[in-house]
Amino acid sequence: MGAVGVGRGASVAGIQIERVTKRFGDVTAVRDLSLEIRDREFVTLLGPSGCGKTTLLRLIAGFMTPNEGSIRVGARTLSTPAAVVPPERRGMGMVFQNYAVWPHKTVYQNVAFGLEVRKVSRADARARVARVLELVNLAGLEGRYPSELSGGQQQRVALARSLVVEPDILLLDEPLSNLDAKLRERMRWELKELQRRTGITFVYVTHDQSEAMALSDRIAVMHGGEIMQLGAPRLVYTRPANKTVADFMGLVNLLPGRVLRASGDDSLVAVGGAHPIAVALPPGAVVGQAVQVAVRPESLRLTAPASGAGAPGTVPGKVVEVTFLGNIIDCQVTLDDGTRIRAQVDSGRTLEVGQTVGVEFDSRQSSVFSA
Amino acid sequence: MAGSVLALAVLVVLPLAFLGWGSVTADGRLTLANFRDALSSRLYVQALRNSLVLGLATAVLSVAIGLPLAWAVSRTNVPGRSFIHLTAVVSYLTPPFLTAIAFVNLFSPRAGLINRFFRETLGMPGLTFDVFSMAGLILVTVPHTFPFVYLLAASALESVDASMEESAQILGASRWRTALAVTGPLVAPAILSGALVAFVNAIALFGSQAIVGLPGRVFTLPTRIYALFDYPPQYGLASALSLIFVGLTVAALYLQRRYLARRSYVTLGGKGSRPQLVDLGPARWGVFAFCVAVFAVTVAAPYLTLLAVSVSRSWGLHFWENLTLQHYRFVLLEYDVTRRAIWNSLILASATATLAVLLGSFVGWLDLRTTLRGRKLLDYVSLIPLGLPGIVVAVALIQFWLRVPLPIYGTLLIILLAYTGRYVPLGVRSANAAFRQIDPSLEESARVTGAGWLRTFCSVTLPLARPGLFAGWLLVFVPALQELSASVLLFSSGSITLAVAVYNLYETGALGPVAALAIVTMLIITAALALATRLGRGHGGAGIPRGERGTVAQ
Repeated sequence: MGAVGVGRGASVAGIQIERVTKRFGDVTAVRDLSLEIRDREFVTLLGPSGCGKTTLLRLIAGFMTPNEGSIRVGARTLSTPAAVVPPERRGMGMVFQNYAVWPHKTVYQNVAFGLEVRKVSRADARARVARVLELVNLAGLEGRYPSELSGGQQQRVALARSLVVEPDILLLDEPLSNLDAKLRERMRWELKELQRRTGITFVYVTHDQSEAMALSDRIAVMHGGEIMQLGAPRLVYTRPANKTVADFMGLVNLLPGRVLRASGDDSLVAVGGAHPIAVALPPGAVVGQAVQVAVRPESLRLTAPASGAGAPGTVPGKVVEVTFLGNIIDCQVTLDDGTRIRAQVDSGRTLEVGQTVGVEFDSRQSSVFSA
Repeated sequence: MAGSVLALAVLVVLPLAFLGWGSVTADGRLTLANFRDALSSRLYVQALRNSLVLGLATAVLSVAIGLPLAWAVSRTNVPGRSFIHLTAVVSYLTPPFLTAIAFVNLFSPRAGLINRFFRETLGMPGLTFDVFSMAGLILVTVPHTFPFVYLLAASALESVDASMEESAQILGASRWRTALAVTGPLVAPAILSGALVAFVNAIALFGSQAIVGLPGRVFTLPTRIYALFDYPPQYGLASALSLIFVGLTVAALYLQRRYLARRSYVTLGGKGSRPQLVDLGPARWGVFAFCVAVFAVTVAAPYLTLLAVSVSRSWGLHFWENLTLQHYRFVLLEYDVTRRAIWNSLILASATATLAVLLGSFVGWLDLRTTLRGRKLLDYVSLIPLGLPGIVVAVALIQFWLRVPLPIYGTLLIILLAYTGRYVPLGVRSANAAFRQIDPSLEESARVTGAGWLRTFCSVTLPLARPGLFAGWLLVFVPALQELSASVLLFSSGSITLAVAVYNLYETGALGPVAALAIVTMLIITAALALATRLGRGHGGAGIPRGERGTVAQ
């Protein structure tokens, strides 16, 4: 993107959400939720539709009043059930899923609106609008109406409109979901770069886990109005806190197993017909307990079939389906007990249907949940 | 909120309550005597029967005319489709009393031009037609009701997803089979609903029923109610008859709502393509001839007749030999009653349209953008007048304001209240539609950007809603300018309106001035339409295509 020069104030813009509940009639959209977003952080609220992520974002924006709990930014209390600072006095920016670019205003008028409201002098406003339009690569389109812009350009107008007032916090509600795949990918990079450069605290809502992983410092995976897990993308992906998170964060195999040895990191679980693999157990697991082992297809390695009992961590199986996907090979393997699992391996490998293989589990890449 | 509640209470709820109360009391005591009288006297039973016959015949004929036109315009390659559409729209806009007066000039038993032509020129008195009859009443009413069927059926026919019909055809159904098995059921609710709206409007048209019905002693509910206000006025009986009338109207509207609710699946087609147009071949000229005939009867005949009457010194077979502008000079410059009436109607129509849209905006905005308790009820209450014929609104207002110690009876104010009450549903519907198409996020992003409630409303909501609100304004202005049913009971010499002046002139037999005034009325309506269309379009020069707005604010 273009020239630097759009930034934010010096105030601390961490967001403290404390035990917030929001109900609509009988439905609880956000349930007793606490979340601390650090200053200058990029946090994504990730979850399927109906998980409460957009409600949470709108609570932060001040469009809704919580039934319980509080939302603060720095030392300032913004939302409690008793009183809510209206959106226009929060000094935040927000980008909507449908862009919400005003169709009756030109690009310039759209972007300059926030400055007019703040009574910024005309000359000053002109300079700031020019700067921010350059930042989002829209210089030269000031006189156009939104109907004359592409979807991606409208999205940039929405971004510019939020950025020009130099907010400390920017809220983004699925801003890329209406763009085509290629443009979406490019806007990802631009957003990430923008956040790094401006130091604005980003709160980003999406249902797309790859988008969340590409952008975020931390991801809050939401389900049923609660945060299931909060952590860095890598952690959430490789060590999901529960089955819901594991399932939502991409492809995952869930295998039934039974605990053979329960001693911390040195534990063993039998899968695929009494074959032991080494994994870390959840606290409180006991020997003999039925569990589920979650492992992502790309974390599995396929080796030559092990002779005899084999080393712990390798389970014999038979290839039943092979699909060539270009960069990888996607295959289905049946274990001795009939469990079918999916593995993704390097496309250089040659695999045949019917071939017997050893499926190697990596203890650091596998998670165990109680069944 | 409080303001809207108060306004609706004064405009709608209280007058209705007093109407109800007045219908069950006589000399201050509770009684059902009024209803007994209304339902036992041959006079009123006959009126009820006539109203029903008129409504049903009109509804059937409206379908017979409106449906072929709708089908021709939306599904065939008939020539002159925009001309056909225009015919329906002009018929819809034409004041009903205007059509009635025009046909009286053509078909009154002795002086009617066409009747005289048959009798005197051709010597075939058997071909004459008496307009002062039920048949005549139906003839002058249908031109104002078939557009309802036309508009509803055309939009339904256009919104049927082509793929629904194509899947029937690919399965082997012929064109007719497809029309019967797929298209018909899909659009039937719209047609029935159009017929019911035609019924409701037909029985409420006081103007045609008074002008054509009274001379022929074809009495209907509105004209009977009107007659009850002759000295000595019988308020109780009038109230009871009004409520029976409302019952009829509400029943029809209730049926219509149910059919419309079923219609929703027509539009579910989504992104479907437009249906293919039927190539009629040479038959299209036959269809076109039918359309021209409709145009001739509903538009050309009334307008040409009135124009001719308005410029001829004496109406007759050789009217063109004595052309004059004296009737125009009379109604515009000399006769102070008509001059006053023109001003009164302009003021009333503008004020009514403004009030109805303003009130509609409040109600619509409360309904769509707030979570206040009772906002839905407000919305429903504002729709009640849809079920109230104009003359009933007048009776209700008289019942109410005669009992309230405010001397507004006989002033422009009571007419303004009647108009606003009658047309507030149109204001509410338009405002609701205008606000509904503005995605809330457009307003929310202004809030987040730092604009307060008022600033957001003025710089985002209002500019975006403006075309819709303007359309609503016009939708109220046009019928208010030609309103007769309520005004005819509420006017005084100082507050006379355009339509009442036309009606009074007609009763004195001054046909030339009547025609001139009718043409003036139509010119005002045309000018208002042209002006408002220009004002309502675009945003400060640079217009935004309608479709685009739809895609942005989905």
